[in-house]
Amino acid sequence: MSQPALETRDLHKAFGALVVANDIDFALQPGARHAIIGPNGAGKTTFVNLITGVLKPDSGHVLLGGKDITALAQAERVKRGIARTFQINTLFGGLTVLENLYLAVSEHMGVAGLMFRPAGARPDVVAEAVRLMEMLKLGDDARTTIAELPYGRQRLVEIAIALALEPKVLLLDEPAAGVPSAESHILLDAVAGLPPEVAVLIIEHDMDVVFRFAHSITVLVSGAVLITGTPDEIADNAEVRAVYLGEQARG
Amino acid sequence: MQTFVLGGTPLAKGGTAAAQETTMEDAVNTITTILVFGIAYAMLLFIISVGLSITMGLMGFVNLAHGTFAMVGGYLTVKLVVPVGVPYLAALVIAFIAVAALGAVMELLLYRRLYNRPELDQVLLTIGIVFASVALVTFVWGNNPQNIQLPPILTGDLDLGFKRIPVYRAFMIGAGAVIAAALFYGLERTRIGAQIRAAVDNRRMAQSCGINTARLFTLTFALGSGMAAIGGGLGIQIVGGLKPVFAFEYLVLFLIVVAVGGLGNIRGTFFAALLLGIIDFAGKYFLPEGGSFFIYLVTFVVLLWRPQGLFGRA
Amino acid sequence: MPSQQHAGLNTAAAQDLMRGHRFRWYEVLPWVIAIAVFFAFPGYRLLATQILVMIMFALSLDLIVGYAGIVSLGHTAFFGTGAYTAALLANNGWGEPLSALLAAAVMAAILGVISGWIILRTHGLTLLMLTMAFSIMLYELAKDLDVIKIGGEEVTFTGGFDGINFSNDAILGLFEFDAVWYGVNYWYALVILFAGFLVIRTIVHAPFGRALIGIRENVDRMHAVGSPVFRRKLVVYVISAAIAGVAGAIFVQVQGNITIGVYEFELAGNVLIMIILGGTGRLYGAFIGATVFTILENFTEHVLGTDPPYWELTVGLTLVLTVLFAPRGLLGIFESVFASRSGRTAGRTA
Repeated sequence: MSQPALETRDLHKAFGALVVANDIDFALQPGARHAIIGPNGAGKTTFVNLITGVLKPDSGHVLLGGKDITALAQAERVKRGIARTFQINTLFGGLTVLENLYLAVSEHMGVAGLMFRPAGARPDVVAEAVRLMEMLKLGDDARTTIAELPYGRQRLVEIAIALALEPKVLLLDEPAAGVPSAESHILLDAVAGLPPEVAVLIIEHDMDVVFRFAHSITVLVSGAVLITGTPDEIADNAEVRAVYLGEQARG
Repeated sequence: MQTFVLGGTPLAKGGTAAAQETTMEDAVNTITTILVFGIAYAMLLFIISVGLSITMGLMGFVNLAHGTFAMVGGYLTVKLVVPVGVPYLAALVIAFIAVAALGAVMELLLYRRLYNRPELDQVLLTIGIVFASVALVTFVWGNNPQNIQLPPILTGDLDLGFKRIPVYRAFMIGAGAVIAAALFYGLERTRIGAQIRAAVDNRRMAQSCGINTARLFTLTFALGSGMAAIGGGLGIQIVGGLKPVFAFEYLVLFLIVVAVGGLGNIRGTFFAALLLGIIDFAGKYFLPEGGSFFIYLVTFVVLLWRPQGLFGRA
Repeated sequence: MPSQQHAGLNTAAAQDLMRGHRFRWYEVLPWVIAIAVFFAFPGYRLLATQILVMIMFALSLDLIVGYAGIVSLGHTAFFGTGAYTAALLANNGWGEPLSALLAAAVMAAILGVISGWIILRTHGLTLLMLTMAFSIMLYELAKDLDVIKIGGEEVTFTGGFDGINFSNDAILGLFEFDAVWYGVNYWYALVILFAGFLVIRTIVHAPFGRALIGIRENVDRMHAVGSPVFRRKLVVYVISAAIAGVAGAIFVQVQGNITIGVYEFELAGNVLIMIILGGTGRLYGAFIGATVFTILENFTEHVLGTDPPYWELTVGLTLVLTVLFAPRGLLGIFESVFASRSGRTAGRTA
């Protein structure tokens, strides 16, 4: 068994007295389909921010494919194979769908640094952007700016950008939130179509999506791992149910 | 770029061969001069800039027109004292109220529309306001430096025993300290102050707690502008005569103080004003040619080390 | 699959990306107009040359403000440094103008690297502040170095407010500068502007230019797609500085005179106003903005006089109105009219 695709060791972060990540040990295997669930404020997005480098931990390590990336900047981690989507769409609002994808693809293919040749000199970049767009059924909106796009379709662009980066580890932060249920299958199909070695971590509140997608689940409460297990184990666990008793019914 | 007049201080340092005792005396003399004049100048910077710091921290709005409020406040003070004969301190109060009202109106009519717009738009709008206001004031009152006669209690010297210092400078230092204390108390102890601090810290959270941030913005903006007006009125003597371009010339200085101190806090503005005010004065005192260089150097160094300012939040 | 790829590329959206760099017919207009103006308005050549210089300066600023979203009120730091490099070279024995342009570009670029390295780590007010502080610092420095002591003697260095006069050798040994009829001067500025414009246009239509737009539109997302944001910003900042430096050099070379006005804060404000007036992030906005601004300024000051300050009032009000009602500038107004007729969404892409 090879080493984990992604690992955290003793990852710790506190804002004053508020501990948002409490010595988290976590491992994600290649090919994983893993979900992180937990009540509001459990620190799920913070955890993703720590993994991707948006936040610096107070102590602890993040390892990608066995290599310590804790000191690396966000962009560098992306180059090494981590991609994420944001909980709230983080897109290029004034640009069209195709232009959004183009930016991600051109960075990924190392073309974005070209200064003295026109974009048209690399049709392979454009073609790849088109391919991704069509994979997520966004072809009709190619020339629509993000600002004009319905929120649910923007979410699909968000996923497409992450996929453009051909990651080894894909982190999806509430990907289904805001996507009309009629279209959420597009999203899940895209994820299902990923190469099998890609490790996928999903943060979700929608239990339907979680149980359809995940092979394993981690429950995060107050910045610490409560339990990790298969969907059945989690569903049966009394502690998990207790933690959620205070929550409104979801999913 | 700013013309710096020291209102009566001997600029040249004594350069003749002096006996040991007089050198010591000279040193004490020089230090006292620098501290007194420097701190008085710093207090002026503080009084004007604190409003800018709070509104920028609170509203996240780049307001380059802040100098306008100081300038207009200064002109109002002059025009009340000189032709009309209103007592100086009363004129300052009137200027405060008038400019605070003006600030409130401008916030409601203009600034409010740009809160969600890119920073470039905010910069340009407020630059436009400065241009237009400088031009308007020049139209109405001309270009010549305006001066006032200080009331008798504020003129003359104060005898400290080892040195005589101008009463007016002592007054500035006192006024600055009082205002700083009042603002600090206001922010820390009153409910409104708590609301402002909350909104500076996290606007969205403050709103969800039921704080009417829109009204807070208007109030704070009015207050900040009023404070700037007082500063403008107090500073007439210190800048050696008020001109419309004051709004422009000192703009950089106010921005520097705010940036070095950190947005949205009084303590930061206070200490940044002290630091920069004293350094600027000392720089020009020792090197009349080229002394203004130092505050920019200090600014660079501070912001390189702490981009959020000395007391700002990262 | 190749055939699928090609099919995808045939869509309108893909073609936008593939062909964005191609020259459109109307792009020849500014140059035709520039040539025509020379012959049609012989009495206004000085003004026209100044406009050409300002266009170049405005283009350099638009590269960082309009494309990368780096708002600077201190671009005069580079304009002025380029100007002083050219002037001091000529004033101290090196009269060859083209190499002086190169030197100006290099000096400005070096300054760009040094200041950019520090300034580009910040954003928002801090960045704006630092750009202002940096250029004002240079202004003060130039003012204080008007006269310097060399070997006990006082020598005029920058000349401060009064400035210095100098002259350059003929361009390529053939074309003498003409401060009276402005013939050669005008063509000199025009040719260099054209060269600079081609450079900027190429960059803007390249993948790099698109990345700049990405940085402007959503820098968080750029980090999250692996873009080395700081490096990109520094590169464009240095290029922009070099071009501004060349503009400054030409500005003083055609006049044979330089004062510290080249570092003046008012100029930094003016050039920013020019690009917002014309429309940022669209190269021709700089052309329109610089032209309209300069003509308006000259007209107002000559016809209405400088006292009372009608011009400042006009600029101020125009700015406020532009920001409130026409944020995409004159070009934006024009484009909206044009787009609403052809039914396309007008975007801020090139």
